Amino acid sequence: MKKKILVVDDEVSLTHMVKRGLEATGRYSVMEENQGNRAISTAKQFKPDLVILDVMMPDVDGGDIAAQLAATHELKDTPVIFLTAIVTPVETGPTGSFIGHHTFLAKPVQLKNLISCIEKHTEV
Amino acid sequence: MTDTYEFNTLIERWRKPRGRRAVAAVLFIALFIALVGVLVYATGGTSFVWLNTMYFPIILAAAAYRMPGGAAAALAAGLVVGPFMPLDVHTGIPQDCANWLMRGGVFMLVGAVTGLLFTWIDLQYDSLRQAYDQLAFSHEELRKTQLELIQAEKLESLGRLAAGVAHEVKNPLAVLQLGIDYLAISSAGDKAAAETIEEMDEAIKKADRVIKGLVDYSRFEELDLKTQPLNPIIEEALNLVKHEIIKEHIIVESRLSPEIPPVPVDRGKIQQVFINLFINGTHAMEGGGKLTVVTSQSLLTEGAFDSFSPPLTQFAPGDSVVIADIFDTGTGVPEDKIGKLFDPFFTTKPVGKGTGLGLSVCHKIMELHTGWIGIKNRKDGGAQVTILLKPEKRDVSA
Repeated sequence: MKKKILVVDDEVSLTHMVKRGLEATGRYSVMEENQGNRAISTAKQFKPDLVILDVMMPDVDGGDIAAQLAATHELKDTPVIFLTAIVTPVETGPTGSFIGHHTFLAKPVQLKNLISCIEKHTEV
Repeated sequence: MTDTYEFNTLIERWRKPRGRRAVAAVLFIALFIALVGVLVYATGGTSFVWLNTMYFPIILAAAAYRMPGGAAAALAAGLVVGPFMPLDVHTGIPQDCANWLMRGGVFMLVGAVTGLLFTWIDLQYDSLRQAYDQLAFSHEELRKTQLELIQAEKLESLGRLAAGVAHEVKNPLAVLQLGIDYLAISSAGDKAAAETIEEMDEAIKKADRVIKGLVDYSRFEELDLKTQPLNPIIEEALNLVKHEIIKEHIIVESRLSPEIPPVPVDRGKIQQVFINLFINGTHAMEGGGKLTVVTSQSLLTEGAFDSFSPPLTQFAPGDSVVIADIFDTGTGVPEDKIGKLFDPFFTTKPVGKGTGLGLSVCHKIMELHTGWIGIKNRKDGGAQVTILLKPEKRDVSA
């Protein structure tokens, strides 16, 4: 069964590429959301196995979305990966690392590293 | 400034001559007194001209040695002309000693008053000199502060610009990276496509390195200082650049002293310094070489780091410091460029290889830690970079 990934980023081309790259593996079903303030309602409908979040978005902060996910009963256990330009690969390592309570991946990320990070967080 | 200096030098030479000048001055005054004594004697003690000439050596002695000099010269003058003084200058009839004593008293008075006058001039001069020195010091401080402010403002603007640019450029880079990764999957088996994708991948990495340099340079936030051992940070940094080191066939020798005390550092930032330095060393030794890392603790001695650039100003002789030395066997740095190595965007690497920000970032991070980083060429080839950190807690402001 394909894992469901929700990608929230205001960069339309980026969410497209994440979707294409992940779906090309045949293991994921990806939903794009380019408006941060609609992320929670989209997540409620899509029920993702994992959410990839940008941090800096024009309408809402990625951290706020993560907090709202944690506060939403049916989404509170959904793992979140922050895919952001505010960290560097030296800080996160190629496949992401915990900073605070969240996993961060630095942009630009290689597809194989993104997949590796997703697998780490979605394996049962 | 030069005129003032020459004036000062003249005054300083005139005041209390020492050494050979003192001998010359005393001899000159003594000869002057003796000569006048002879002339007084030759004229039978009757010439006011020669008697009054005696005031010149007294005044000269007072000018050179103030009141004691004036008094000594007056005493000498009195003693020299003394034997002739009892003669009445008008009649030539011997008289009592009153006249001699009066003349001697006047000599003494002139010597003492002139000495006091010169002492007063000294005080005025010293006071003016002190005011001048303070003014010159304040002027220099003001000039330095102005330069620092201009530089800080430039760097702050650059930092803001860099952070904004970096964020905006990283998103399209991410799109390109994921795009070529996707194309690599979909065009598997196509050799030409694979080569093209590899070149594009390399181009993205280069662009990302430049952006990373800009981001690093713009990040001058507060330090997260924790007192911790330095050696594990260095080992971790070496591990992070392992791939580059192996690729360039470089041998690493690390002699990390277990004796060095913990240092208050921001782990991430100091690690970044070492990563940058190891990468720089590696790039300087294309095709192979040896990278040596040594840590130690020492008490600073005068002039120990004089051959490094920039000059060591953060520490004083006798300070206890933790030292990290990084030696490479690479090409070294042209001597005319070594002073500019820590300037932003200055690089000696080939176009596309360096961003010119690595060492600037290192320098800034060391400044934040109130530490020091210096570089010099090694006599037997290659370069040496040295980092100094204070072991105990210091006041650090970001």
